[in-house]
Amino acid sequence: MPTTRKKANAPAPAPPSERDPALLRRIYETMVLTRAVEDRMVAMYKGGDLLGSLYTGHWHEAISVGAAAALRPDDYLAPIHRDLGAHLWRGMEPWQVMASFMGKATSPTGGRDGTLHYGRLDLNIYNLPSHIPANYPVAIGMGFAAKYRGEDRVSLAFCGDGSTSRADWHESLNIASVLKLPCVFVVENNQFAYSTPLQLQSASENFAIKAVAYGMPGVKVDGTDALAVYDATAEAVARARAGDGPSLIEAVTMRMHGHAEHDPADYVPREMLEEWSKKDPVELFERTLLEAGVLDDAAVKSVRGQARQHAIDARKKAMADPMPDPTTVEVGVYAD
Amino acid sequence: MPTDNGNATYLDAVGLALEHEMDADPDVFIIGEDVGQFGGAFKVTKGFLEKFGARRVVDTPIAETGFTGLAAGAALVGLRPVVEFQFADFISCAFDPIVNVLARHHFRTGDPMPVTMRAPFGARLRAGPTHSQSVESYFAHVPGLKIVMPGTPEDAAGLLISSIRDNNPVLYLENKYLYRRLRASGPIPLEPIPLGQAKVVREGTDITLVTYSAGVSQGLEVAAELDKEGVSVEVVDLRTLVPLDVETIVASVKKTSRAVVLHEAALRMGYGAEITAVIQSECFWHLDQPVARIAAKNTPTPTSPPLEDAVVPQPAEIAQVLRKVATA
Repeated sequence: MPTTRKKANAPAPAPPSERDPALLRRIYETMVLTRAVEDRMVAMYKGGDLLGSLYTGHWHEAISVGAAAALRPDDYLAPIHRDLGAHLWRGMEPWQVMASFMGKATSPTGGRDGTLHYGRLDLNIYNLPSHIPANYPVAIGMGFAAKYRGEDRVSLAFCGDGSTSRADWHESLNIASVLKLPCVFVVENNQFAYSTPLQLQSASENFAIKAVAYGMPGVKVDGTDALAVYDATAEAVARARAGDGPSLIEAVTMRMHGHAEHDPADYVPREMLEEWSKKDPVELFERTLLEAGVLDDAAVKSVRGQARQHAIDARKKAMADPMPDPTTVEVGVYAD
Repeated sequence: MPTDNGNATYLDAVGLALEHEMDADPDVFIIGEDVGQFGGAFKVTKGFLEKFGARRVVDTPIAETGFTGLAAGAALVGLRPVVEFQFADFISCAFDPIVNVLARHHFRTGDPMPVTMRAPFGARLRAGPTHSQSVESYFAHVPGLKIVMPGTPEDAAGLLISSIRDNNPVLYLENKYLYRRLRASGPIPLEPIPLGQAKVVREGTDITLVTYSAGVSQGLEVAAELDKEGVSVEVVDLRTLVPLDVETIVASVKKTSRAVVLHEAALRMGYGAEITAVIQSECFWHLDQPVARIAAKNTPTPTSPPLEDAVVPQPAEIAQVLRKVATA
């Protein structure tokens, strides 16, 4: 029976000191950059630089980067609005994300779409619509295509706890399992779907156990621990790549900002935020790497400084970029 | 497998075209409920599983949202899925992926989205309110979709070939009443018919009947009767609603100066409203009479024969309206 716990005889995860330091460092750098870019965009939002609202992924960095790091560049990714880290891991430029939130001609959609809708197919990332988890059926389709062609690519889809209530979530897990598609489903349980708390979302003990009903393994991991997310994803990816079908991962974290920046999230108990504030995934991972000797204080200072500068430069470029030409608006409703 | 003995049915034509495209392009596959071992609820894909295998003839759980979204994902990375909805009525379950994923993806990103969605639709089979719907108007409002509605076996084949080769999401609506009632007169040419080209299927001088799908054969029968009365009806088969061939409609109406629009969908906000608006704006000074619309009543489609017949357009009503507009 699928389990939400590690098997009793499973080997203990490798300590950081026994892992590839270059990989660890890249995960760390991407998490730091994610935080720096989002902090910069919060300031931009408050300064009135952005259109609409701003969706951030504070405390999701370990999930988005940890999971993306366990994939190959040719694996498919279907992220949501908390997953800037996964985009940056794949090579998305921070200025492109900012340009998207500003409706600039240089955004990945040229201003046709905006805000969080900036996924680039050339990076094997699906650009999702607002109807999350509409990315789930699309993700299983990308996995289907890989299997159809006999490729060993895997497709990974993220969603939040709220998404698990939707029909497309259920249908995707069911179809993927019945057709044995090479998929990995990651639920980022951040305790709230907009204002709706977990107990009003699901009567399940947790989300990982839902995997049992679909006949796939489900595992619940600490979503503030980048290596725990990486390891769980790597295991699920290996299973998918071997042709053994999909897996479900529940990564538990906290949404530390509102649903978006317009939302003060007064409905979140203050004690909860205080408790979770001690579990900053970026700081936790930084401490782990310092203790393991992968980083030293000078390296930390340098990575953080560079990330901050990168975000500042990105803002400058995005601000200076042109708006789209309205005379082109009817071009491209249909493909040739 | 369907065979072409020179008198293929509309249903055979759909199957022949699908087989042709699956033969021609290894990226084309068919996915839906009961399409494999059962050969489809109407048997369009009978024999496909044996010929093409389960990799390309994919039976799914009952999950329209899921497999439509799956098709989108597969298309994004280079495949050409053909989705079968068992009945067009069930397409409402996939409204979200069709409208929000498929239809606007190209506009949002520039990526192609080559998905063909086949759906048997329409009334007259005593199938009742949730098995007889005409769904074209729900989708005609959505930018980014193409809508194809063949009225003959030859068009069913040629338009399906073009739909599958198109790089956009195409809603291909098969009239299930015509499936086994219409036969081709000769071998079906398995050649693409371009989307967006209406066809004048009968030339006439007194009045233009603009129609599509089942309205074409129905309109032609009525036109033949009216001819005996001395009323010459030109019948325009739209073939595709999106893109719409405005030019052919306008040329015909300018010639006859009178126009009637016929469809089986309900009148209110039916596609006839769009055609009527096009005609009045493009042909206003050529019209001798207001444009009339013949359509189903604004009710669900009932099951019982006398009730259903009272709702969907019947030959007598079509003849009466054409006669009235032509001779007023």
